[in-house]
Amino acid sequence: MIEFSKVNKFYGDFHVLKDINLTINKGEVVVVIGPSGSGKSTLLRCINRLETISDGGLTVNGVSVGDKKTNINTLRRNIGMVFQHFHLYPHKTVLQNITLAPMKVLGQSQKEAEETARHYLDKVGILEKAGSYPSQLSGGQQQRVAIARGLAMKPEVMLFDEPTSALDPEMIGEVLDVMKALAREGMTMVVVTHEMGFAREVADRIVFMDEGRVLEEAVPADFYENPREERARLFLSRILNH
Amino acid sequence: MDFSVLTNNMDAFLEGFKTTIIASLIALVCSFILGTLIAVMRIAPLKALNWIGTVYVEFIRNIPVLVIVFFTYLAFTFSGMTAGTIGLTVYTASFIAEAIRAGIMSVPKGQMEAARSSGLSYGQAMRFVILPQAIKIVIPPLGNQFINLVKNSSLLGIVAGGDLMYQGDLVNAKTFAYVDTYVFVALFYLVLTIPLSFGVGYLEKRLARSN
Ligand SMILES: Nc1ncnc2c1ncn2[C@@H]1O[C@H](COP(=O)(O)OP(=O)(O)OP(=O)(O)O)[C@@H](O)[C@H]1O
Ligand SMILES: [Mg+2]
Repeated sequence: MIEFSKVNKFYGDFHVLKDINLTINKGEVVVVIGPSGSGKSTLLRCINRLETISDGGLTVNGVSVGDKKTNINTLRRNIGMVFQHFHLYPHKTVLQNITLAPMKVLGQSQKEAEETARHYLDKVGILEKAGSYPSQLSGGQQQRVAIARGLAMKPEVMLFDEPTSALDPEMIGEVLDVMKALAREGMTMVVVTHEMGFAREVADRIVFMDEGRVLEEAVPADFYENPREERARLFLSRILNH
Repeated sequence: MDFSVLTNNMDAFLEGFKTTIIASLIALVCSFILGTLIAVMRIAPLKALNWIGTVYVEFIRNIPVLVIVFFTYLAFTFSGMTAGTIGLTVYTASFIAEAIRAGIMSVPKGQMEAARSSGLSYGQAMRFVILPQAIKIVIPPLGNQFINLVKNSSLLGIVAGGDLMYQGDLVNAKTFAYVDTYVFVALFYLVLTIPLSFGVGYLEKRLARSN
């Protein structure tokens, strides 16, 4: 459902993504890992065109992301995104954060949107915070609201960019649990994360990136126990030994 | 202090006061609309618009308001009041645009990204996510611009705009009581600017608390 073919991206002279070929199928959970600056966020952000690709082809559900004729807002309805720093709207309550896009983009009534919002808040385990403002929530709670906000659009894919790396350690578990449940329900997910437990438990595939290239793709067990690439081995030893 | 200067010429003062209020109000509304448009032009994801916005701001902001008012008065055949109000609007809009732009820029980039990635259009994201946050930051400088606007409206007097300043000059010509007249003129301006100033301070406090 997401297909990169020979995708390149430059920031000025800087070559961030190099000849990326990658296919993500419906229902798959793909975890992207790699050293800082290797282009993981850029790869993810190209999928919903927060960044534009310089050349190559990128399609989501057969629709070309870069094509001028593609209505980007329509495409984005189907792609939820969760950020490292949540980016909840601070001037809106939790409920309003979640209902905004369903009301304005999908044209749902307030009642309908609120029902959906409550459903997903319940699912991520913080229904009681519906009336709170983001600043009144812990980091873990905020990230769970951000996930509910993404889900309320009923997207076909969810993108996660290091969803737990801004969290205090004791809150990482609650967010990962929500993501695991989502994975088990069959959501298509592309997740940039170094959480090995999560990857081993629910990922179908690990994509290892280094200096703008996809160096290795493997199932988690193989990847973590026996990475083919020297770079991957080096990287794993570094994240495991700190 | 000779209060007869005030009481004998009350009609003139009130007439000027009224004109100052009307000119300020019109210029306030128009410069707010124009300023917002220019601010959005300066940050919209479209180079041509950015350019127009930047040229406007840099050009207008760096010309004395007096020159702008004279220009509108002499270049077109407007009345003093119309020319003065237009000149004030054009001038104040450049400052308002900068204040609004600064407010918008102070909203973290992630807010726009979150809004756009949920499928909202640029306009919707601005309206529902960015501007409501920017307005809190923009209100204090905006209030100061409005106070400056009221004070700058005294330039209408120079192009026979019929405002407080102009009426004051007429009273001077009749009574020769220059000092008294200007004291009364100043008091009339204070009647407008002091409540404005308090209003801005009050809003500022309320917004600070709502965070
Ligand atoms: N807007 C930009 N302009 C120029 N260079 C950029 C821009 N955004 C990212 N880069 C550069 O592109 C490279 C890849 O960035 P990216 O954020 O995709 O890396 P990452 O793998 O997500 O890293 P991290 O683990 O630190 O988040 C980095 O070297 C970064 O400095
Ligand atoms: Mg990143």
